[in-house]
Amino acid sequence: MVSVINTVDTSHEDMIHDAQMDYYGTRLATCSSDRSVKIFDVRNGGQILIADLRGHEGPVWQVAWAHPMYGNILASCSYDRKVIIWKEENGTWEKTHEHSGHDSSVNSVCWAPHDYGLILACGSSDGAISLLTYTGEGQWEVKKINNAHTIGCNAVSWAPAVIPGSLIDQPSGQKPNYIKKFASGGCDNLIKLWREEEDGQWKEEQKLEAHSDWVRDVAWAPSIGLPTSTIASCSQDGRVFIWTCDDTSSNMWSPKLLHKFNDVVWHVSWSITANILAVSGGDNKVTLWKESVDGQWVCISDVNKGQGSVSASVSEGQQNEQ
Amino acid sequence: MKLKEIDRTAMQAWSPAQNHPVYLATGTSAQQLDATFSTNASLEIFELDLSDPSLDMKSCATFSSSHRYHKLIWGPHKMDSKGDVSGVLIAGGENGNIILYDPSKIIAGDKEVVIAQKDKHTGPVRALDVNIFQNNLVASGANESEIYIWDLNNFATPMTPGAKTQPPEDISCIAWNRQVQHILASASPSGRATVWDLRKNEPIIKVSDHSNRMHCSGLAWHPDVATQMVLASEDDRLPVIQMWDLRFASSPLRVLENHARGILAIAWSMADPELLLSCGKDAKILCSNPNTGEVLYELPTNTQWCFDIQWCPRNPAVLSAASFDGRISVYSIMGGSTDGLRQKQVDKLSSSFGNLDPFGTGQPLPPLQIPQQTAQHSIVLPLKKPPKWIRRPVGASFSFGGKLVTFENVKVQPQQGAEQQQQHHVFISQVVTEKEFLSRSDQLQQVVQSQGFTNYCQKKVDASQTEFEKNVWSFLKVNFEEDSRGKYLELLGYKKEDLGKKIALALNKVDGSDVALKDSDQVAQSDGEESPAAEEQLLGERIKEEKQEFDLLPSAGGTFNISVSGDIDGLITRALLTGDFESAVDLCLHDNRMADAIILAIAGGQELLARTQKKYFAKSQSKITRLITAVVMKNWKEIVESCDLKNWREALAAVLTYAKPDEFSALCDLLGARLESEGDSLLQTQACLCYICAGNVEKLVACWTKAQDSSNPLSLQDLIEKVVILRKAVQRTQAMDTNTVGALLAEKMSQYANLLAAQGSIAAALAFLPDNTNQPNIVQLRDRLCRAQGKPILGQESSRIPYERQQPSKGRPGPIAGHPQMSRVQTQQYYPHVRIAPTVTTWSNKTPTALPSHVPAASPSDTQGENPPPPGFIMHGNVNPNTAALPPPSPGHMHSQIPPYPQPQRPQNGWNDPPALNRVPKKNKMPENFLPPVPITSPIMNPLGDPQSQMLQQQPSAPVPLSNQASFPQPHLAGGQPFHGTQQPLGQTGIPPSFSKPNIEGAPGAPIGNTIQHVQSLPTEKITKKPIPDEHLILKTTFEDLIQRCLSSATDPQTKRKLDDASKRLEFLYDKLREQTLSPTIISGLHNIARSIETRNYSEGLTIHTHIVSTSNFSETSAFMPVLKVVLTQANKLGV
Repeated sequence: MVSVINTVDTSHEDMIHDAQMDYYGTRLATCSSDRSVKIFDVRNGGQILIADLRGHEGPVWQVAWAHPMYGNILASCSYDRKVIIWKEENGTWEKTHEHSGHDSSVNSVCWAPHDYGLILACGSSDGAISLLTYTGEGQWEVKKINNAHTIGCNAVSWAPAVIPGSLIDQPSGQKPNYIKKFASGGCDNLIKLWREEEDGQWKEEQKLEAHSDWVRDVAWAPSIGLPTSTIASCSQDGRVFIWTCDDTSSNMWSPKLLHKFNDVVWHVSWSITANILAVSGGDNKVTLWKESVDGQWVCISDVNKGQGSVSASVSEGQQNEQ
Repeated sequence: MKLKEIDRTAMQAWSPAQNHPVYLATGTSAQQLDATFSTNASLEIFELDLSDPSLDMKSCATFSSSHRYHKLIWGPHKMDSKGDVSGVLIAGGENGNIILYDPSKIIAGDKEVVIAQKDKHTGPVRALDVNIFQNNLVASGANESEIYIWDLNNFATPMTPGAKTQPPEDISCIAWNRQVQHILASASPSGRATVWDLRKNEPIIKVSDHSNRMHCSGLAWHPDVATQMVLASEDDRLPVIQMWDLRFASSPLRVLENHARGILAIAWSMADPELLLSCGKDAKILCSNPNTGEVLYELPTNTQWCFDIQWCPRNPAVLSAASFDGRISVYSIMGGSTDGLRQKQVDKLSSSFGNLDPFGTGQPLPPLQIPQQTAQHSIVLPLKKPPKWIRRPVGASFSFGGKLVTFENVKVQPQQGAEQQQQHHVFISQVVTEKEFLSRSDQLQQVVQSQGFTNYCQKKVDASQTEFEKNVWSFLKVNFEEDSRGKYLELLGYKKEDLGKKIALALNKVDGSDVALKDSDQVAQSDGEESPAAEEQLLGERIKEEKQEFDLLPSAGGTFNISVSGDIDGLITRALLTGDFESAVDLCLHDNRMADAIILAIAGGQELLARTQKKYFAKSQSKITRLITAVVMKNWKEIVESCDLKNWREALAAVLTYAKPDEFSALCDLLGARLESEGDSLLQTQACLCYICAGNVEKLVACWTKAQDSSNPLSLQDLIEKVVILRKAVQRTQAMDTNTVGALLAEKMSQYANLLAAQGSIAAALAFLPDNTNQPNIVQLRDRLCRAQGKPILGQESSRIPYERQQPSKGRPGPIAGHPQMSRVQTQQYYPHVRIAPTVTTWSNKTPTALPSHVPAASPSDTQGENPPPPGFIMHGNVNPNTAALPPPSPGHMHSQIPPYPQPQRPQNGWNDPPALNRVPKKNKMPENFLPPVPITSPIMNPLGDPQSQMLQQQPSAPVPLSNQASFPQPHLAGGQPFHGTQQPLGQTGIPPSFSKPNIEGAPGAPIGNTIQHVQSLPTEKITKKPIPDEHLILKTTFEDLIQRCLSSATDPQTKRKLDDASKRLEFLYDKLREQTLSPTIISGLHNIARSIETRNYSEGLTIHTHIVSTSNFSETSAFMPVLKVVLTQANKLGV
């Protein structure tokens, strides 16, 4: 069951391109072709405009909330080739940093798992991916991966910090030697996996090829303690793939076609528990997908205007199986 | 920026949008000669591989052609959606010929690649276009106003759109309408454009500005608006692009005057109608918005003119341009850096000069230096306006609490004149997918609230699908019933009354009555129909009534059977197992087992012994020596450790009957552990039952998790139901510290809470989340849940966040340990802070024992010391529904909201934890805005205290009896004098002192004065303790030193945690040393261990350790010996 519990009139003057809730699900950040970023308090079904952030000189494509342990921080990226990091200080939101290291539209921003510190990955149409690391005193260190995706990187998504399967062994999550990884998707139809080497340089670890057109979005699934990594990808070619890799045995990623849509698929998003995937298509439709017991991905809901019903087929199937 | 280059002077055609990979076909241009003045012609196909960063296009095929081309297009005819290489290449030749090629054959390298050829036109065929609705229709134009419509399915004879226009002129361009399939337009260098309606077979409109200067070199229909088209002029005197709307055909709608000289080609993007490419004799390639006239982009080009320009249909950001300098360049309009291009030039130079020694001088050339200045110019900016295809119109993202945030930008057809106001809404929806899971979780919550555990368990028993499930629930249910041990015995198949009958019969049988024997069988049978047998079956496997011999020779380490057969031995066993000494003795006597009878009689008491002694003269053999030994010696550990696992039921029964309360749990645990580790898969699951008897939640979880998959919500629900019920049971019956949450349980509970939260049940998630643990993931989840509820968070936000508020600084990029600062929200808690003391405990029906009900903090004046209420007091109101009427703590009063006491920072791991006082953390973080309490000077009422919080402090004494649970303040006891007052009476009522061990931390009867005193002296806690006798001080220093050494060389956090924990737990040992309550053997053993530590001989230490444990009283050493073993093992491992 998908039921609208809050309809937020953003008063944006042009297309909305992204809407993201903060860590707690109490604040909503939106961005639009009207060049603005807005923050709303949406607690208890209300909508209070907290901030209307102006600073971009072009359409703003994406917003990303940093983990609250670093304060209230929001990153936004725009066609104006800039990434802006906004911060709330004493109740007012202000620009705290502007990154203009890209030569073309910055299409995607994603914060690293909080365990690594404050690190932002940015993917741009100039084909590069930059990584901004906060080093204190308002300073950000920039690392850049040039030619990550020819004619453009459309999406970046970090791997969860927990090494899958280690949840029980390391309940406190204090394992110091994380291997930092993220996935990116681009106009070269590829998904690439990057990992940080011991010398701090980023290296392409893997290329995942299955799409026949631009990869529009990639989403690394949150870890739920299983020894598998999962990535969802969607493309201009209408296909959505679920990539899985058994961490224990090898580094082999195998794709499974979730569905082929008739139109471009713009966005994929995992639920926090990583069992439902929301797929946003070019026909303005949002569908929810769930893996059934036999490993097939089943559409459990069509969401229109935020509303829809969830078919019970999957959960019933599970019961029958047991 | 430039992506690729091909050195060809050629016409070009991209593969259709369906095609993957993307190909570019080039055909030698008829109009231009390349630098070699070669007249050879070829048709080539290149692949656009963007993952290759080099500037080279990968050549796929070359076909030597006899034609040179004026126009080349690639139609998707007969192409399937799978995008196999197919479609058709249509070429316009020099002499009126139209040739159809099969591109897949060209790529395959076939010789015969021509599908068809017609030479029907006059002069060169410069204009070709494929109808996008019926892609078998191709229009062509040549000299003499010739226009043909070709059907690729029937290529023989073309159609004409109507009568030729007069005067005859060349057709330079032709284009099908993008919206209406039967509309075609043609244009000629004379400047006139004609629009044809193929249904009417005639021209319907002619477009001309009558300037006579429009020299049409380009024609394109608007991709979206059916009536609009653009015309480009090659004439340098009028280098314009005119936008026409056929509805106002008298003059152009708009004129784009961005080129300085004549325009040679145009291309309108199908992906974004606001992008029109044009290239001209001013050597510019421009991208303009034909709807506004604005130039959005100027491609950086060399100074050469381009004569052909094409958008890539599949990759909308890519275009190709063919220039007179013999080069086809592929560009992206998204900007970027041209570093790659420079590299190619450098590479080219290098390769031209071969091995860097081109002149054979023996001197290699110095490496090429790239001039630095070019870097400045290498950046190419993208389009001024974002193209339509990167403007994401829709999105849905999940957020915490199963919320889905969606937005969509529904296309609104712009009304003529007035632009419709578009609504820009974002929807926040709740996604619920696990309905059954939620409803079961609801039920569980209701049960916990209503305390209707027995009914709940019964329902579960009734609904159980498997025997095992039924057993588990039956065992759980027993916890809530009177005489739980007795009931357990019944569940295991031992019912006293029935046994009584059997014994009576057996005695008769021995007397020689056949009839009685029959009766016996009958009774046994009828018994079988009644509960015991039913219960036996309930346990999954019927207890076999076959005779099982005891192992007479007590071989070391071997297992022995406990016979429960129907004969004398079995009956004796049964009698013993149920504690019926008298019958057992009688049986022995009848069976001439005098020794057994005597020994049993000794255990059975003076009276029985006396009676038995009378008949002692006769002797008999015993087959159950070991069992008897165990009963007499009360050494049940032996039974549990060495019995045959098939007899686990009997062992458990024995334990249930005989074990002292203090060892009961441990023995059940031990049996469970044996079943788990040694048994087969069936027995492993039965271990769960032992753990239920033991009340060991953590092990139950571990065992359950091993056996069952709990990854899906419903099976996790199965587990949590049992865990919650068992915790309640343990809390009720065993006075265990139910606050303890081990790592595994915490993991499962937070997994459960996460699932609930993901279904939107935030409040329920909070209720189930373990409360007093500082495992970071739980503390963080709690904070997240609290905030997600949308309630305003009290106090300064920063102080309550479970993460150290971080301004990350260089050098601290690593993980940050959180200092938990729990946000307390008024909600039903399943993990109350209050310690639960037992009121009525029925270990067995033989020894029903009532503990004094400890009304905490006997008199209000005592509790009203200046110490603000410990958290338990506040929570208590929530735990007990009967006190729900309590005024909720007012948010304004910090005293009642945030316990000013430091909370114990470590999870309390139960009965062998050191006293809480020792764990008072020094680093506890206070809310920033919280002032430390005024130093307490005397234990009298704080005159400044607000009445409400005082009232709260008084409350606990009242509600206690209602809940049938004693509660008392969070312990602030020194280990020194734990309630001797209560221990005494306990001992007198027959309960061994150690039974009340769980209470040592939270002693119900602890002198209140002491409590206050300790509270006062928190910072200097140690002063209040007795010193450790000097001669034993060495133990403390040795052990502490060892732990420090281990800590400094341990690397992984898990070990460190273990050691930290150990260091704290050893306080318990030190307390015992202070009290001087340890037996001399243990003390000397400990000194021996210390000495072996001194000599770094840890294995010796471990041996001594084992010796102490095996020879000493379990209860005396259990609090610290296991920890000591951990430390020794670690030290041995780390080699410190």
